[in-house]
Amino acid sequence: MENIAKISIKSSTKNLIEVRNFIETNAKKQLSDANIINQIILSVDEACTNIIKHTYKFDESHIIEIQNYTDKNQFVVKIFYSGDEFDPNKRNNPDMKEYFAKYKVGGLGIPLMKKFMDKIDYMHYVNNFNELTLVKNI
Amino acid sequence: MEEFNIIEKISNEVTTLHLEGFLDAHTSVELEKSFEKLIAEKKFKIIVNFEKLSYISSAGLGVFMAYIETIRNNAGDIKLCKMSDKIFNIFDMLGFPILFEIYKDEAEPIEKFK
Repeated sequence: MENIAKISIKSSTKNLIEVRNFIETNAKKQLSDANIINQIILSVDEACTNIIKHTYKFDESHIIEIQNYTDKNQFVVKIFYSGDEFDPNKRNNPDMKEYFAKYKVGGLGIPLMKKFMDKIDYMHYVNNFNELTLVKNI
Repeated sequence: MEEFNIIEKISNEVTTLHLEGFLDAHTSVELEKSFEKLIAEKKFKIIVNFEKLSYISSAGLGVFMAYIETIRNNAGDIKLCKMSDKIFNIFDMLGFPILFEIYKDEAEPIEKFK
């Protein structure tokens, strides 16, 4: 495992740009494919957006910590936050034909994360602490 | 460049929104306001030009889903154009071309509205 880079943000959507810049800076040190880098940036953005929106209901007083490192052939992003349990792996992707037919809104962040990342791990601990891990094979 | 900016241009009955910068969960509120304003003004023929948009997340996609039904119910449409490959891939991956017309240039959707 190489050096771990870390950033902590307050739980506000205005800080998403800081998260994206953090991931982009680190990803560019390890990866050259702009498309892959964008997929990782978008996935981390979607994960943080969901936490801010659904876990914290846009309450900006919480802290989200993001760690990033490369381990063997994997680019790993870990997101640590407190709050209720929510495992994105347990959320089924929407039927997009029905989605468009019924003009649905929202619920597309997790499908994007699942399409773009090779692995998503989620752990919820007894102290209401959450660890979401996004892995891209490189 | 500012984080996100919208330039509105009106020609005949067609309004074109030129998006610039980053469209995410923070800035998508600005685009919502633009659609709300156009609907209030009964301007239902809308083209969105993505040429200067460098990033979109699902929150941005959600804005188009939120208003398309109302706009089409009023004999209008939201037609999309000039996306970079990076942004088109996000729309395409989720199947948005099923619901939205997406054009390479701005002239074609203008013609379609005539």
